[in-house]
Amino acid sequence: MDCKEIRDLVGERWGEELPVEAREHMSKCAGCEVYWRNARFLQAGFRALAEEAPPDASFGFASRLVRRLQEWEATGARSEFFETVGRRFVYATLALTLALLLSLALPTSGPVRGVAGADFLGLQSHNQASQPDVVGGEIGDTHELNLGGPTK
Amino acid sequence: MARSEFDVSQEVEFIRRVQKGDGEAFGLLVEKYQQRVFSIVFHLVRRRDEVEDLAQEVFFKAFRAIRSYNFQSSFATWLSRIAVNHCYDHLRKVRASHLSYYSEMTEESAHELERKAESPPPQGLDHGERLALRDFVGRLLERAPEDDRLILTLKELEDHSVEEIADLLKLKTSTVKVRLHRARKRMLADLERWRQEGK
Repeated sequence: MDCKEIRDLVGERWGEELPVEAREHMSKCAGCEVYWRNARFLQAGFRALAEEAPPDASFGFASRLVRRLQEWEATGARSEFFETVGRRFVYATLALTLALLLSLALPTSGPVRGVAGADFLGLQSHNQASQPDVVGGEIGDTHELNLGGPTK
Repeated sequence: MARSEFDVSQEVEFIRRVQKGDGEAFGLLVEKYQQRVFSIVFHLVRRRDEVEDLAQEVFFKAFRAIRSYNFQSSFATWLSRIAVNHCYDHLRKVRASHLSYYSEMTEESAHELERKAESPPPQGLDHGERLALRDFVGRLLERAPEDDRLILTLKELEDHSVEEIADLLKLKTSTVKVRLHRARKRMLADLERWRQEGK
C-alpha cells in the first residue's frame, strides 16, 4: 500500500481499526503515522463535542412561541402583506415615471431626436441619415461611432 | 401521557390542524421537537446564547411553510431540514471566533493533551482536558467551510447515518460519502496546518 491509499483508507474507515498491511506501512512511514494519529485526535474531539448537551429550552418556550405566532398572524402577516403590496406599488410607479420621462425626453420625431437619442448611440436609422444634421451639416452627414475600424 | 408524547396518526392530525391555522396544535409539535431542533442548532452554531433565538426562528419558518408540507418525508426530517438550512444561512452570515481553552494552554500541556487524545479510547482525559479537546476541535470545526461543517456535524455530532444525511440535504448517498470523505481530509489538513503554524 502506498501513502495515498493509506490516507484514503483512514478517511473511509473513520473510527475503525486499519488492516494489518496499513499498520505495517505506518510503522515505516512517519508521515502516514502522523496522519492516522491526527485522525484519532479528531475522532476523540468529535466524541467529546457530541457529548456536550445542548441547552434546554427555557420554561414556556412553546407557549411563548405560539403566542408570538398568533400575534404575528393577527398583525404581522397583514402588515407583511401591505408591505409587499406597497413595495410593488412603489416599483410600478417608479417604472411608469421613468417611462413617462423617457417618452418626453425622446420625442418620436423632430430635430432633438438626432442628438439625444439614437444618433448619440451611433444607431442612426436610414431615414434620419437622409435628414439634415442638427448642427447644420449637409444632407447625408451622420455621426458615426468610430469603433476602431479602418477609416475611409 | 406528556403533552409532547403522541403517535404518528395523532401527529398527522396535529399537522393538518396547523395547516388550517391552529396555533395551539403547533405548540404541541414544538414541544415534541424542540429538543431535536435545539440539538441541531447548538451543534451547528455552537453558541449557547444564540440557540433559543435561532430555534425560535426555525419554528417560525416551519409554521409559515407548513402549508407546503406534503407528508412525503417525515415531519422530523422536514423540520430538521429547515433547522439545518437556517443554521447554514446563519453561519454564512456570521463567521466569528471565540476565546479557546486550548489557546490558553501552555505548549507542553497542549502536546500532552494531543498525546492522550490520540490513544484510544480517551478515558484517560480528565474533565479539563476533555473540555480543552472539545474546545479545540470545536474551533477547528468553526474554521471549516460551511458545507464541511454541516456534513461533519450531522455525521459526527448528531450521529445521523449517511442515508439520513442524504435525505436531509436532498443529496445522493454517494455524494454524501464523497463530501464526508473530503471534509475529513480537509479538516485533517487544517489540523496539520494549525500545528505547523504553532496554533
